[in-house]
Amino acid sequence: MTRELEHNFITELENNQNIIHKVCTLYTNDRDAHDDLFQEITIQLWKAYPKFRGDSKFSTWMYRIGINTAITLYRKSKRSVPTQDYESVIFKIKADEYDETEEQQLKLLYKALKQLGDIDKALIFLYLEDKNYTEISETLGITEVNARVKMNRVKKKLKTILNP
Amino acid sequence: MDELDLLKKDWQKKGDDLPKLSYNDIYQMIWKKSSSIVKWIFYISIIEFTLPHLFLLIPSIHKNLAIYEALGLQNFMLVFSVIQYSVIVYFIYKFYIRYREITVLDDSKNLMKKILLTRKTVKNYVLSSLSMILFISAAVVFTIYLKDTIELSNYKLFLEIAKKTSVEKVKPILMFAFTIAGLGMTLLLGGLYFLLYGILLKKLKRNYGELKKLEI
Repeated sequence: MTRELEHNFITELENNQNIIHKVCTLYTNDRDAHDDLFQEITIQLWKAYPKFRGDSKFSTWMYRIGINTAITLYRKSKRSVPTQDYESVIFKIKADEYDETEEQQLKLLYKALKQLGDIDKALIFLYLEDKNYTEISETLGITEVNARVKMNRVKKKLKTILNP
Repeated sequence: MDELDLLKKDWQKKGDDLPKLSYNDIYQMIWKKSSSIVKWIFYISIIEFTLPHLFLLIPSIHKNLAIYEALGLQNFMLVFSVIQYSVIVYFIYKFYIRYREITVLDDSKNLMKKILLTRKTVKNYVLSSLSMILFISAAVVFTIYLKDTIELSNYKLFLEIAKKTSVEKVKPILMFAFTIAGLGMTLLLGGLYFLLYGILLKKLKRNYGELKKLEI
């Protein structure tokens, strides 16, 4: 029984691991911190897994636990300086896919993303993952109206960072 | 905002650039120990609940408590201990109930609120412990002040001093010593506690404040 649970969990997580990696890239600045946060989210997911009934999608679960771990439970400071190496691996922009202006723009966008606060990052993350406002408000525990207001503010903030 | 659309498009295409963990990597991870702040709060709280009582087990401290006897404060201390232990039991119970309510499956705001509530329980416990230390020290100092003679036979150190000096001179020394001990312990424990939690919960408090601000 435990073995089966373990196997199901690991398989699901392996298939959906990109969600956690994306959370980690947003909230950490180097590879060590990335791995550390990934591990903490995995532990939290595994601890909660026996309560997972399958009435919602496993990935929906991952968003909630991933964000909660990153903005609430994770203890380590994220003030470490981003290393060039890590940045280029994570936010690698394929030159052949975009024209130069787009590439430049994306670079600036990712940089601006990193400067946002924890809650703002969570909002933008859910937006980028195509979550609707109902899901966003339920994940963060704020009303839908407030989620919209906050999202508009974050978008404005991003714009200001991009065009000071 | 088309910049954001561009970002969204690129973001969703991500995948090849992200690290890939194998089944085995994940298997090893799930048996590692969590280092979440909830775990930290739990461990620190356990220390806070037990540490003052472990001190009492150290023989020399136990012997020093004979001062209460010398001052005729046994009954007062007995009543006080009963109150103290009831308070501790109450706080441990409340802490346990609140700690169990913390779940990562909650929405972010609720999760933060529950963690802060749990921490508040410990904070109230610490505050009540500290005031008890202060109260006891004050009671001892006051009793010394009122006493004409002090039975010091159980209290070696002060007996030595008393041999050399008169009781009149020992009284201020004792009063001073207990005032310093009481204040010192309160400041030390209080300072440590608030520093520890200040560091631990800085981020959480900031994020909770931001979410709460939205509701106004």
